[in-house]
Amino acid sequence: MAPPAQSQRSQSPSQPSGKSEVSDLKHQLRQLAGSRAPGVDDSKRELFKKVISYMTIGIDVSSLFGEMVMCSATSDIVLKKMCYLYVGNYAKVNPDLALLTINFLQRDCHDEDPMIRGLALRSLCSLRVANLVEYLVGPLGSGLKDSNSYVRTVAVVGVLKLYHISASTCVDADFPSMLKHLMLNDSDTQIVANCLSALQEIWSAEASTSEEAAREREALISKPFIYYLLNRIKEFSEWAQCLVLELVTKYVPSDSSEIFDIMNLLEDRLQHANGAVVLATVKVFLQLTLSMTDVHQQVYERIKAPLLTLVSSGSPEQSYAVLSHLHLLVMRAPYVFSSDYKHFYCQYNEPSYVKRLKLEMLTAVANESNTYEIVTELCEYAANVDIPIARESIRAVGKIALQQYDVNAIVDRLLQFLEMEKDYVTAEALVLVKDLLRKYPQWSHDCIAVVGNISSKNVQEPKAKAALIWMLGEYSQDMQDAPYILESLVENWDEEHSAEVRLHLLTAVMKCFFKRPPETQSALGAALAAGIGDFHQDVHDRALFYYRILRYNVSVAERVVNPPKQAVSVFADTQSSEIKDRIFDEFNSLSVLYQKPSYMFTDKEHRGPLEFADELGNLSIGEAAHNVISSQRVEENDKDLLLTTAEKEETRGSSNNGSVYAVPYDSSTSVFASQTQIESAISNPTTAGHSQHASFGIDDLLGLGMPAVPDVASPPQLKLNTKAALDPNAFQQKWRQLPVALSQELSLSPQAVAALTVPQALLRHMQSHSIHCIASGGQSPNFKFFFFAQKYEEPSNYLVECIINTTSAKAQVKIKADNQSTSQAFSTLFELALSKFGTP
Amino acid sequence: MLQCIFLLSDSGEVMLEKQLTGHRVDRSICDWFWDHVISQGDSFKSQPVIASPTHYLFQVVREGITFLACTQVEMPPLMGIEFLCRVSDVLSDYLGGLNEDVIKDNFVIVYELLDEMIDNGFPLTTEPNILREMIAPPNIVSKVLSVVTGNSSNVSDTLPGATGSCIPWRAADPKYANNEVYVDLVEEMDAVINRDGALVKCEVYGEVRVNSHLSGLPDLTLSFANPSILDDVRFHPCVRFRPWESHQILSFVPPDGEFKLMSYRVKKLKSTPIYVKPQLSSDAGKCRVNVLVGIRNDHGKTIDSITLQFQLPPCILSADLTSNTGTVNILGNKTCSWSIGRIPKDKTPSLSGTLVLESELERLHVFPTFRVGFKIMGVALSGLQIDKLDLKTAPSRLYKGFRALTRAGEFEVRS
Repeated sequence: MAPPAQSQRSQSPSQPSGKSEVSDLKHQLRQLAGSRAPGVDDSKRELFKKVISYMTIGIDVSSLFGEMVMCSATSDIVLKKMCYLYVGNYAKVNPDLALLTINFLQRDCHDEDPMIRGLALRSLCSLRVANLVEYLVGPLGSGLKDSNSYVRTVAVVGVLKLYHISASTCVDADFPSMLKHLMLNDSDTQIVANCLSALQEIWSAEASTSEEAAREREALISKPFIYYLLNRIKEFSEWAQCLVLELVTKYVPSDSSEIFDIMNLLEDRLQHANGAVVLATVKVFLQLTLSMTDVHQQVYERIKAPLLTLVSSGSPEQSYAVLSHLHLLVMRAPYVFSSDYKHFYCQYNEPSYVKRLKLEMLTAVANESNTYEIVTELCEYAANVDIPIARESIRAVGKIALQQYDVNAIVDRLLQFLEMEKDYVTAEALVLVKDLLRKYPQWSHDCIAVVGNISSKNVQEPKAKAALIWMLGEYSQDMQDAPYILESLVENWDEEHSAEVRLHLLTAVMKCFFKRPPETQSALGAALAAGIGDFHQDVHDRALFYYRILRYNVSVAERVVNPPKQAVSVFADTQSSEIKDRIFDEFNSLSVLYQKPSYMFTDKEHRGPLEFADELGNLSIGEAAHNVISSQRVEENDKDLLLTTAEKEETRGSSNNGSVYAVPYDSSTSVFASQTQIESAISNPTTAGHSQHASFGIDDLLGLGMPAVPDVASPPQLKLNTKAALDPNAFQQKWRQLPVALSQELSLSPQAVAALTVPQALLRHMQSHSIHCIASGGQSPNFKFFFFAQKYEEPSNYLVECIINTTSAKAQVKIKADNQSTSQAFSTLFELALSKFGTP
Repeated sequence: MLQCIFLLSDSGEVMLEKQLTGHRVDRSICDWFWDHVISQGDSFKSQPVIASPTHYLFQVVREGITFLACTQVEMPPLMGIEFLCRVSDVLSDYLGGLNEDVIKDNFVIVYELLDEMIDNGFPLTTEPNILREMIAPPNIVSKVLSVVTGNSSNVSDTLPGATGSCIPWRAADPKYANNEVYVDLVEEMDAVINRDGALVKCEVYGEVRVNSHLSGLPDLTLSFANPSILDDVRFHPCVRFRPWESHQILSFVPPDGEFKLMSYRVKKLKSTPIYVKPQLSSDAGKCRVNVLVGIRNDHGKTIDSITLQFQLPPCILSADLTSNTGTVNILGNKTCSWSIGRIPKDKTPSLSGTLVLESELERLHVFPTFRVGFKIMGVALSGLQIDKLDLKTAPSRLYKGFRALTRAGEFEVRS
């Protein structure tokens, strides 16, 4: 028969019209299936190629499954590979047909060519069809014992794949212990590394149910094993080295001489050509020496050069990742890099993401000795063609000015910016001058002289305009024209689109009025009138407020609007040091790039294999809600939508001084934190969805991590369900519907007050008494909790609102119940549980 | 670990998809990614690591091809980025360059390579020498061979010997009639020069490239006359660390063929081989440009292929630039490129002319940065010198060759 490939070639392979081509292929494959004619492999290859190219561009060719399998009887290895690829792609959607392939794959697993054995085994394990696992065990078992290391390498990874399809089959076949044997005895380091990665995953997953697995997992970070790996580290492939080094960071050496041993063993890894190895080594060094301050500083010196080389010699993508890490290090030890600031000078051709990080680095390393050079360099960028970078560099100059004590030179530069006559440069510089004046009021004369020359017509950006207006108001006594400039701005009130600018304008006119009343009076009247008529709520409110306070008493108004100000010494930092520490703990991970600890953005189920240590520590509803919805963004939206300003302050406050673990906790749970917000949550469908997830999270956690202890002390007449579950929506509805059954004030013992530093402490305690928390929030001294409990074997709920003030050691408790008659009994139970809190 | 790798063409089309784990990654992530890229705009190359609503994405763009990897777990970021860089290196090595067509034509090879490079999301081997033994590159020789012999498989019949050996970068036992080893010093000079001619920064990034065709298991030592000038070094895995630490000697068993033995930096150099003096003065809506180029330090070697490039600021309406040597071209994207070649003996190359600014502009406020290119054969500008190269148990006929070359890297002159 004629090879059909020739006729097919004339058609354009990239533009298949769809169905007819597929059925055409089907027909041709069928013709070739049984053929043993010479040259048939070539025609098959053409056809297979076509099938795979269709598959790649997204055309569904799964209907060819049967024919492809029939054609797979061949000795040609490329054909086999293509066939494996095809089968691997479609087996999952065609589990029945996949059975057909088992036969030839199993046969190939016994081929005399080790490459074919390996490939077949890999494809067999990649089928990932649950009902075919029984066919995997045999080939995997013999694969692990194969004489060829390539086959063993594949088999080890295969075991892990099997585990993910069916954990029980894998464990029952005793594969983990076979892997362990290989890991400790095989001469091929690639096999050792694959075993290690597979076992880490398997044992971590098993650890929650099997004590043995937990022990084995611990054994991975035991001294003999770590040294077994470290002594052979040079034999491992570069990627396997990363894996080993990651494991070493988990190891806690017994004494300092051991620390030096390990560092000596690993020192040459810092010279490795692969950046991932270098960074993993850096992490080991930093982690090992955390407690040894002097050595830790020496480590910074040691790792500096390799890291800087990575920045300047790698691709921009690598530079970006390394710079993010450097940035983290610089925050901890700015002086280490202060003499190497030239490495962070931007090159013309670099992508903006690298430039931006470099600007941040320059800001961070600036100190007394290098400020002049750095600022000179940054000023070069202000004239850069790349406008966003030009803006960033002006901001960087400003940040340096705010950090340094000696600002003379910098102020001059900023004032030069103002004279550069480029709108965006002027805009950025204005904002900076404003910040600078808040910190260094002594510069006001020099600055105001220049600022006064800027025509407000040339300033369009809201932020810059607001800054200019602020300065006009604040320094109106020094600026001859201030009242008139403000007046002209007020006249153009309607053309001003930014509410922020209008707000600033109102305040500035007020301030000007207090300093130069006769000149400003008319402008003030016009501004207040325009403000009260404004459609923007805040502007309207502020204008009305000014109007009323002026009518009440002008001197009070002056004290409110224009009190004497103190120079700002430190501007609020955006990121707390705890968060930074936490990120530092996660060195060499994505956290560093996102500048957020991983719990803020990853799903728990997806966290790395050994990230189990502090899961229990983090156990809280906030966590749970997080883990169900991976997207951090959703949460942040919720936060913005739902938190009142006061609560935002609170959240921010807590991130500055509270425990780092409390940060996400607060932000997500304060969604439920008060009655009003529960209502707003109901009116907002996204949050409702969110809270629903949260409750599933709670259920999981209750079922999994923390089996509630049956309460022996509870009175026999009321027994609570230990595994109660209540959907937050249901809770909200009930809370609104039910009347308050009981309201009382309870006193707390001093121990209880001492134990209640974060809300989680009480949650866990109450959980052990079968009283579950649905939402909590606040921080010392005020906490607020919503609890619920369910009667044993009866769908009768108790809802509790509990407000605790630790300074007065009182708890305000409101109880609502489905069944009012038992509420008294529940109240006693609740009181009893609460009274035990804090006692050991 | 990595869950999926996509290769996208420069129009966002998925050319290749390789699922690595049981967590199947839907193709729609590519659409999300592409929308993201488009919304960022061309001039703004987006970051190499992005968070999509469902996955964390690593992207590396090479020659218009986007290598995209997805993960949902926390992992070392450099591992993802490095791996993608290696994939692109290996592919361009195999396919003789990267572009949409070559990948589409050879997608079977790309699949085969990815299959060996990564399994279950964990990188296995990215060593080109080993890969080449497992999967033959699609070169003309093998094509001819396949036609002649009728054996069209591009997969070698034997497994690479090195997978079992303890020197993973070297094939077991190559044999050569002529034993040859070539050592090249390739340096790139990065410099930033201020508008007043002061050297802001000047350093050299260098590589020692070795091309070895030696039989058996050769053990080489390479030493430099002045190793102390090297600031920071990185080695190929074959280099033994101890001899370097104690005596600054490179001792190694080389891979077969071409490889990068080490890379280094030499910081704080004091001079550049050529000078560029740009002068821009603008008033009344015009800008006079005058640029002079000349040799500063005579190294005794000719400086070749000198070029000068700069981006005209966007506010320029037209430009009229002429030079006394070489050719001046203004490209469509307002890049002006002046190729000088060699500097003539009798005159100093100069570029001069006028730029006309947009009508409302009186003076020019942004000043272009001039990027300079050059090439000098036969000299390593860092001053690094190879002392000697020895081979333990030298074969009867051994040919050793040394070369040096310096190019301009990021050589910028501000105006």
